[in-house]
Amino acid sequence: MIKLYDFELSVNCYKARLLMSLLDVAFELVPVDFYPGWEHKTEEFKRINPLGHIPVLDDDGFVLWDAHAILVYLATRYDTSRQWYPVDDPQLLGRTASWMLFAEGTTNTASAARLHVNLGYDFEIESVRAGAHRLFRYLDEHLWFTEREGRCWVCPGDHPTIADIALFPDVALAPEGGIDLLDYPALRRWCDRIKRLPRFVVMGGIFPASPGR
Amino acid sequence: MNDEGIAAAPMLDAAFSWFPIASSEDLPFRHTYHTKLLGRELAVWRADDGYVNVWEDRCLHRGVRLSIGLNDGAELKCQYHGWRYASRSAGCTYIPAHPADAPARTICCTTFPVVERYGLVWSGEEPLGDVAQVALFGDEGLTLRPVPIHAPAALVAERLRSYRFRPNPTATGSSGECTVESGDERAVVVTARDGTAEMNVVFFVQPVDARTCVVRGLLVPRPVDDAVVGVLRHHNERMSTLRDEVEEAAAVMPPPPPMQPRVRAPAPVAEPTHTPADTRTAPLRVVVARKWATADGIAGFELESIGERLPAFQPGAHIDVHLPNGLVRQYSLTNGPGDVVRYRIGVKLEPDSRGGSKALHESIREGDVLAISEPRNNFPLRRDRATTILIAGGIGVTPLIAMAQALGHAQLDFRLHYFAQSPAHLAFPEVLDLLGERVVRHLGLGPTETGQRLQEILAERRPSSQVYVCGPGSMLGATRQMAAELGWPDDAVHFEYFKNTTVVDDSSAFDVELARSALHLRVPAGTTILEVLAEHGVIVASSCQQGACGTCLVSVLDGVPDHQDVYLNDAEKQRNDRMLVCVSRAKSPRLVLDV
Repeated sequence: MIKLYDFELSVNCYKARLLMSLLDVAFELVPVDFYPGWEHKTEEFKRINPLGHIPVLDDDGFVLWDAHAILVYLATRYDTSRQWYPVDDPQLLGRTASWMLFAEGTTNTASAARLHVNLGYDFEIESVRAGAHRLFRYLDEHLWFTEREGRCWVCPGDHPTIADIALFPDVALAPEGGIDLLDYPALRRWCDRIKRLPRFVVMGGIFPASPGR
Repeated sequence: MNDEGIAAAPMLDAAFSWFPIASSEDLPFRHTYHTKLLGRELAVWRADDGYVNVWEDRCLHRGVRLSIGLNDGAELKCQYHGWRYASRSAGCTYIPAHPADAPARTICCTTFPVVERYGLVWSGEEPLGDVAQVALFGDEGLTLRPVPIHAPAALVAERLRSYRFRPNPTATGSSGECTVESGDERAVVVTARDGTAEMNVVFFVQPVDARTCVVRGLLVPRPVDDAVVGVLRHHNERMSTLRDEVEEAAAVMPPPPPMQPRVRAPAPVAEPTHTPADTRTAPLRVVVARKWATADGIAGFELESIGERLPAFQPGAHIDVHLPNGLVRQYSLTNGPGDVVRYRIGVKLEPDSRGGSKALHESIREGDVLAISEPRNNFPLRRDRATTILIAGGIGVTPLIAMAQALGHAQLDFRLHYFAQSPAHLAFPEVLDLLGERVVRHLGLGPTETGQRLQEILAERRPSSQVYVCGPGSMLGATRQMAAELGWPDDAVHFEYFKNTTVVDDSSAFDVELARSALHLRVPAGTTILEVLAEHGVIVASSCQQGACGTCLVSVLDGVPDHQDVYLNDAEKQRNDRMLVCVSRAKSPRLVLDV
């Protein structure tokens, strides 16, 4: 059984939980007292991940950390349709990798602002917020044209990829970090589409959408 | 107005103007869109019937943004405590924490006017007149990608005058010649010509707040389909460049004072006019938009408001219809959720009609105006039970048909058992068909068979099920008795009588003290409490005035009431803490009422 070292309110842990749920993969959670206990910084936890961060995946003894790496592993290992991480299509795979890197940016800005507001992390708040807005402005424009071309997801193709999962909670929870989504209506519509995927799960602060067609 | 431009409207205060607040495609199926106009946040959503709702972005309960709410196609549900608001009226239809109560009619979100035109959704605080008239919109246009800009609207409108574009972006090398045809703070028209090709862009500026606006562009005429995405990208690129320049300029300007959205007074509630003869009021005027025979001996009526939109209602609600002959009759609304433009009722012609159903059947025609009361709900539907059994006898189907549609829309489990003489006696067959297999028709049964069927239906009791029954008095009596024998708790069996057939004994005389009004009154034999109160200027809302509908329910603080109604169930009567003042009286010499 897959074990996920997890903190409920972490966007990065949620990315792994969400993908496992969408792929219908069974897993068990090992709660880590990330806040206020700072358990991930203890010597004990560093024996699991020397870098002292979560999530950490333990798949029958294979231990992996970094949310986006976990997404790559899970999709490659458990998605029999090979669409979430499209390894058979080099161009699509390249796009997916590119948007995964983009998602590192949204995590380091939008989700950092959320850590600053919610958990008191010390970031240059105005600078990370401005960074998030720069990325969201581009992403909203990209998704608006995506809709015009009759598609729904961040990468071309008619199936969502792990890039959508990597980006989704950074966007959906951005308002908690004081980053308003008012200027990004296409982002809000894309969030609805993700929420309507079969076996979608919520986390604290991410609300469900009403059923679509 | 010039030939190709915008009608030269006098510049009005922004509060009285129409502004575009969304593109039509910003409101896809069951989405809730979030925007801001003149500093006020708005939740905007399209119901399944196409109607666009523009509401203040705040749940009346705890102030949470409704723009994160759930659009279910007929109602918007707040994410926080699940309060639901109806499309169009924005009236509250359901409060999950009070599942057995109908929300007060005054719980209504603030709504704003809306017009959808040129692929844009327009709204405003209190807009006057029509949205901008653009003569060149004889042709169909193309909505450009809206571009939010962090700069004041006036500055942006000024810069838009220098907007330049190529009429045909796929043709290489041509720069085109652009002219500004007209423009003011609200709209700018730029025309580009390149040889014979001519293309117009009309820009409208949505003032989001003092520092931000959204530029909404329309391209006329619409390019051929193959070219659309290329043209959209060309304009998005040009508009983004313009945005970057304006934002740079705005960044070094002193910040403008913030816009304060005006606090809006709640909409005035119609003051009932006191008529001494009858305290029942009928503040709404409706026109009979449609009258048809929905079944043998049952006429359907669709009532449309004259003037203001009709108030929200919940399944189980009824209205008083004030007839030209002076009679007042109660009819349940049969509408499903989201079906809120017209009230729909079904009226059975009673063979022993005292003039009510006869007048509606024989005298009232399409086009006639009727006075009606606001909807009242003394038969509210709980939506917190796993299964709901609806049992209808004849015309008693009317409130239950509204409930069935609401339960079906909410994907809650239910069965509607409809007892009637024959297929021809089934009212609203088109609605029954839509409800499909969840409607069970019991046709042409005698009293014994009906009893057996009821027994079978009620035998399927599960811990989280509930029963709603409406029909003739004998059927209700039998159902309630059977339910009690089968162990159904009183509070899981909800019933509504058409009329009170018990003979009211009004021979007693007693005193009533009104705790809140500080009045001490004598109720003589032959006069009701309701009448005595009205004589002394204390108006208690009432409707059927025969102890059936429950409108005149008041709390009893002391004394023992002599219950003569059919609204309260036995357990409620035994508590002696509430009574219907239209028929019930006193067993004790004195009653103290919370009035």
